[in-house]
Amino acid sequence: MPKDLLVVKDLQVWFPVRRGFVESLASKEQRFVKAVDGVSFNIKEREIFCLVGESGCGKTTTGKAILRLVEPTGGNVKYAGPGLSKALMSEAANQAVQKKLTSVKDAQADLAAGIIDVRKLRKDKMKKLRQKMQMIFQDPYESLNPKQSIYDIVAEPLVVNNLGANEADREKRVMKALDDAGLRPPKDFMWRYPHEVSGGQRQRVGIAGALVLDPAFLVADEPVSMLDVSIRSEILKLMLDLREKKGLTYLFITHDLGVAYVFSDRIGIMYLGKIVELGPTEEVIKGPRHPYTKALISVVPKPDPRMKTEKIILKGERPDPAHIPPGCRFHPRCPYAMPVCKVKEPSPTFVSQEHWVSCWLESGEAKK
Amino acid sequence: MALLEVNDLRTYFKTQEGTLKAVDGIDFNLEKGQAMGLAGESGCGKTTAALSIMKLLPANGYIAGGKINFMGQDMAKVTGDKLRAIRWRDISIIFQGAMNALNPVKRVGDQIVEPILLHERVDEEVALKRVKELFELVGINPNRIREYPHEFSGGMRQRVMIAMALACRPKLVICDEPTTALDVMIQAQILQLLKNLQSELELAMIIISHDLSVLAETCELLSIMYAGKIVERSSAVEVFANPQHPYTKGLIAAFPNIKGERRMPASIAGNPPNLINPPKGCRFSDRCYMAQAICKEKEPPLIEVLPAHFAACHFVQPRR
Repeated sequence: MPKDLLVVKDLQVWFPVRRGFVESLASKEQRFVKAVDGVSFNIKEREIFCLVGESGCGKTTTGKAILRLVEPTGGNVKYAGPGLSKALMSEAANQAVQKKLTSVKDAQADLAAGIIDVRKLRKDKMKKLRQKMQMIFQDPYESLNPKQSIYDIVAEPLVVNNLGANEADREKRVMKALDDAGLRPPKDFMWRYPHEVSGGQRQRVGIAGALVLDPAFLVADEPVSMLDVSIRSEILKLMLDLREKKGLTYLFITHDLGVAYVFSDRIGIMYLGKIVELGPTEEVIKGPRHPYTKALISVVPKPDPRMKTEKIILKGERPDPAHIPPGCRFHPRCPYAMPVCKVKEPSPTFVSQEHWVSCWLESGEAKK
Repeated sequence: MALLEVNDLRTYFKTQEGTLKAVDGIDFNLEKGQAMGLAGESGCGKTTAALSIMKLLPANGYIAGGKINFMGQDMAKVTGDKLRAIRWRDISIIFQGAMNALNPVKRVGDQIVEPILLHERVDEEVALKRVKELFELVGINPNRIREYPHEFSGGMRQRVMIAMALACRPKLVICDEPTTALDVMIQAQILQLLKNLQSELELAMIIISHDLSVLAETCELLSIMYAGKIVERSSAVEVFANPQHPYTKGLIAAFPNIKGERRMPASIAGNPPNLINPPKGCRFSDRCYMAQAICKEKEPPLIEVLPAHFAACHFVQPRR
């Protein structure tokens, strides 16, 4: 049984809503945009875990909060992979205890198990750890600096982290990363600029930029959504190969259930800042339990006009995360909403060993 | 007679490096009330083909040859006031990315009223009444006509665009990637709306998308474009059931099928050719798994392989 590389518990990212002067005088309560509102999941070593949801559901914010590219406001993220030396880990634990962020007992238990409490790290150690936890961005047209050569783009993480003994060593590492990302031979690509290569190759440059630090964990945020369908699976295959060769673990973020279906090991369906269903990919796609999952699956266009399936088209658009409905947050759009859904939030119910769903329809309590 | 007949259309662009042949000899027909999908990778010329029909090409683009026969007029030759009278009254377009296509400082109602007043001798009151009807038709609350585009969500803005395209009761609507920037749920809503409108209003539609699955759900006819040419054309069912061209087969295989087996879809290796100096012979030959010597030499013509099913490949033979 592979061990957990990452355990996310009750992760919360709330952004305060700016208030006008008059409103603050009226001393109304501070409101928040609850982008991520209590998300828990774990990712095993060498696993591809996929977060799926509509835009604005908080999937990207979750990915960024794990790497602390946005600061979480609650919950914790525990990481049990390479990144910090034993000495640094115990130093970090001491600092956390001193600042009263954690109890001595918890810190010692984590330390003994080789677990790093990501949220409690100081900035300098977070920067060090981030060398092993990298991100691949969505849009290869926007995320690469058009004025930098591919060499400069891929070498930048080395420069920032002061890695590589000298220029020759850096060049070697960059060439290795480009080669790993499938830009072969690397010499042909190194001195070109982003506009001189195709969309698929651009995304490979983005991947090389993450690989150059030799990470263990990658957050891939919609890495193929901007690419033509004909080259998407090349990039996905590259990512699978890298997992085999380098033992990588992925958090894969997408709105495309079709891609999630063929690529990931387990899936979490997110709605308005919360995971509503989570389980092994095939089980979730073939036997969805949450009404939202069912609807999402039903509207994925089928690449065949002979296949006519019943579509569950939800009315309206997702509500605003600054005004989350009470009870089950999906109830205003749910075709099966019951009175209980409007007042009480359902908690996860396991429907099989690894598959849970947060819905009153599946919960024993409501049936009573 | 068909509503739209496109014959050997060629649209070129003048660039610093030379003439770019974005559309290089395409043919198709469209009857009243028919929806045709135009599919292909980015840069294959599908948007250029559509813009040529409306004559909305950028300054360096021009129609270098061929005929676009729309309701008895050759759109390739029409200019000036005559052209202006046809645009939006008979042919309208729903642009890619509704966010950028609407004027942010004008109320949506006023934006839709504008073409009605330009094309028809009605007063503003009548036009506004029509806008309200259009809003109802596309599923927006008619009370929202005095709102600005930023007050609408992405899906709603796309509905506004659709209402605007229908303002003068056109016969042909061109939809350029109508759902690309939208979420799956909103995409499903918009596609359903387009389909309903098409049958209710007997609209002819050309839907442009790189996403074959979107076209599979909405169109009766399907044309596959590659590097400025149509390589396969037939009814949508026929193309999916019986693809002839290796490129079409590749595109279909590139889709993950959520209802099918769980496996990684195939990809088409390589990139489309440069259209300033397109290769001799078949333009797909560099990426084709079937390519032989002849493919590098001779360009395959578009032949009728099966009744009303055309493909351009040296290795397909007419079967009757």
